[in-house]
Amino acid sequence: MSVPTNPTGSGMNRRSFLRTSAVVTTGLAALAASLKPLMEMKDFPTAERFMQKYYKELTAAEMENVLARITNEVEKEYGLRPHVRDYKPKNGVEFVYCLNLTRCIGCRKCVHACVAENNQSRNPEIQYIRVLKMPHGSLNLEEAQHNYDPEQVPEKGFFYMPVQCQQCKNPPCVKVCPVHATWQETDGITVIDYDWCIGCRYCEAACPYWARRFNWTRPEIPKERLNPEMSYLGNRPRRQGVMEKCHFCIQRTRQGKYPACLEVCPTGARKFGNVLDPNSEVAYILSTKRVFIQLKEEVGTSPRFFYYFDV
Amino acid sequence: MIQATKNYFRFLWRCARIAFVGDWRYYSWMGVLTVFCLLGLNAYCKQFAHGLITTGMSDEVSWGVYIANFTFLVGVAAAAVMMVIPVYLYNNEELHDLVIFGELLAVAAIFMCLAFVTVDLGRPDRFWHLIPGIGEFNFPASMLSWDVIVLNGYLILNVHICGYLLYCRYQKKMPAKWFYIPFVFLAIVWAISIHTVTAFLYVGLGGRPFWNSSIVGPRFLASAFTAGPALIILAIQVVRRVTAIRPEAYAAQQQAAAAARQAMAQRAAILEDLELLARHLPAFAAVTNETRLSLLPSLAVFDVSAGSVLLRQGETDKHAYFVLKGRIVVEREESGRHRITRSAGPGEQFGEVSALAGTPRMATAIAEEATQILRVPAEALRQLMKTPAMNKVIHARMAERLMITDRALMTLRGIVQVSMLINVFLLVCEIFKEFYSGNLHGISAKYLFVGLHGHHALVPWIWTAIALNLIAMVLLILPVSRTLKWLNLTCVLAIVGIWIEKGMGLVIPGFIPTPLGAVVEYSPSLNETLICLGIWAFGLLCYTIFLRMAVPILQGRLTKANEGMSDEQIAAEFAVAPSRIQSHV
Repeated sequence: MSVPTNPTGSGMNRRSFLRTSAVVTTGLAALAASLKPLMEMKDFPTAERFMQKYYKELTAAEMENVLARITNEVEKEYGLRPHVRDYKPKNGVEFVYCLNLTRCIGCRKCVHACVAENNQSRNPEIQYIRVLKMPHGSLNLEEAQHNYDPEQVPEKGFFYMPVQCQQCKNPPCVKVCPVHATWQETDGITVIDYDWCIGCRYCEAACPYWARRFNWTRPEIPKERLNPEMSYLGNRPRRQGVMEKCHFCIQRTRQGKYPACLEVCPTGARKFGNVLDPNSEVAYILSTKRVFIQLKEEVGTSPRFFYYFDV
Repeated sequence: MIQATKNYFRFLWRCARIAFVGDWRYYSWMGVLTVFCLLGLNAYCKQFAHGLITTGMSDEVSWGVYIANFTFLVGVAAAAVMMVIPVYLYNNEELHDLVIFGELLAVAAIFMCLAFVTVDLGRPDRFWHLIPGIGEFNFPASMLSWDVIVLNGYLILNVHICGYLLYCRYQKKMPAKWFYIPFVFLAIVWAISIHTVTAFLYVGLGGRPFWNSSIVGPRFLASAFTAGPALIILAIQVVRRVTAIRPEAYAAQQQAAAAARQAMAQRAAILEDLELLARHLPAFAAVTNETRLSLLPSLAVFDVSAGSVLLRQGETDKHAYFVLKGRIVVEREESGRHRITRSAGPGEQFGEVSALAGTPRMATAIAEEATQILRVPAEALRQLMKTPAMNKVIHARMAERLMITDRALMTLRGIVQVSMLINVFLLVCEIFKEFYSGNLHGISAKYLFVGLHGHHALVPWIWTAIALNLIAMVLLILPVSRTLKWLNLTCVLAIVGIWIEKGMGLVIPGFIPTPLGAVVEYSPSLNETLICLGIWAFGLLCYTIFLRMAVPILQGRLTKANEGMSDEQIAAEFAVAPSRIQSHV
């Protein structure tokens, strides 16, 4: 029953020891080389950020700490001390947007005002509003042109339709999120906890309006362009790997101001307000104008964003 | 209790050690896989540092090959367990030995699924938000939360079933039915559920008409039951091939056996022999003295030297044998290759199946060392089996072998055949609906099959997939696929066809055009491709290791009884090394 090579018998011999150590050393070196790109990481999550609780579970005191931390982080990165608050929805408010397609000229001023207000990444570019150029007589989105670039707008034979988050009453993105990182607030705004999102992009697949954007890499905002008036669920700078989208300028509208896209609009095509207030402009439009379009009504999302024509 | 835990850890330790033992083919295979794993890991570290911008994905096409592979592999995981159905529901004997391979494949496939989902996450560091109880789990609203539950549940179920059955086999103990049969049935239902839930991930999205179709679920199942068993057909043939004894080794063995045959001594059995058997086989103690005495005249004892052939495949004779001392191996020849199907030590029987059935011997039994065996005629064996304890033990041991027969492969071929027909039928249904009605919702299908506004990146892919599937279907219908060569070709065609159709052909066009009508195409980046290859290599590495551990256990060569034996001896392709035989003759 004697077998010449029995490693359990006389212990490891010299040759097999050398061979084993050579294999192990090569293996470890290869492993270390594979892991090397991790050194290039600029934004390694700190323990504090790793452990941060879900928005709805933060107590008022904990929220203060988080806001202070964000303030410091932003200051460190951009050299500018921001004013970061967590604005809560008000009772008796439901925000609604109305957009007059007869007036819109497709100038895209809203797109850029939104980028500036909401600290969107300039590289790679993230924009919440996509303006579609549509041939007269059709609402077929397949006919839409996205990258029009004429000398002058409007062009004859076309109308323009800006599309952004429709703040649905029945939002598919909220339903599909596996971790409750996005939800609908009582004033109708669907928000995202950027510190809770895991970046699975299921919401992006679910949105029928292509309103959600993902931070495919670390967003870049030039220091001088940073808007220091920030809110937790709104326009504070995002990190790599999380979703974002239009939030009706939560940092403005919850303080009674208009969204940035509305303020900049040169034609007054954009109207915004509290639909529960009978004296508001939007309530007036919804009760007097005759033709409304809720984009993709058949999907059952019930948008709070209404397109109308002056007839 | 402490002893049991110690035994269990000893079992794990021995399994782990055997994973590092093999011939040069094994080491080169594992080496290549490891290199791919490391390349994938390196690519993933880049992605982790710089974000998913390193992939070909965009806000327009926000899922790519990661999720495509995930979808395909969930199907493989689900279908791997489908082999359990004929075995446990219809008592199909042929497939019985393959169940473990299927379940191990399921485990490896789920590892890959979990890896693919993880690499697709933008914030993998926040995975804990998905853990129920610690994180925030949107259950039952989000189909993704269902997927987390069903995939992990399925993983646990399969690990439990194979782990338990293999550990029992290792200890040469009968598995307790209550401890695994309920889980087997649960796993069958669960297998269907994991794939249905994955289909619902897509089906549930009202804003994506290409996916929002009730046929996606059935199509997923049909394509899974085609690709899964096809993959197993290929995998178990690889197992067959690598566990086969090399012709040179076999010839040497035969020579040695011829020399050793003279050294076989026969004598009549005496009561002491039966007592010796009872010591190794506790069930035998239940046999009464009267029975023992009445049977004694028909029993004989043989003392044989290592390498002696005790019975030969194809012969017909009505004797069964019990090992009293020493050890034997049983090897079987099929399609020109010899393979070890089982190994028996003191107290264990062999040759009982053909003795009881009167059929030709299915395999050849060879003494692995100097061995004493007790020969029992079929009639006497039947008498012994009147004792319930003996009946139970003998029946249980009959199943303890590793036999991958051609007939089992043909049964799997039947499953692939039917599923492929259903799969192609459902595809035709879908194509008809998308194109005949001409409504606007068919636009993604238009992009996929004929291209849209001058964009047609996926067109060659989908037609390749359809061609492969149709050729595979025709081959499966024709009798030509009853030969293994053609069957293997068919399986490869079907797997590749379905991978394209279900992965690239389902996930990507769902995003094109975007809900706002923009056509932006997608193709995976190099980094993304390396990560995918890395995960596939990781999955194959896991499956190879699982098989490396499972095969010797199923053959009865890695058992609790032979704890002292070295890993090399257990892993040797033939237990009786020619040099050892010579020393005994």
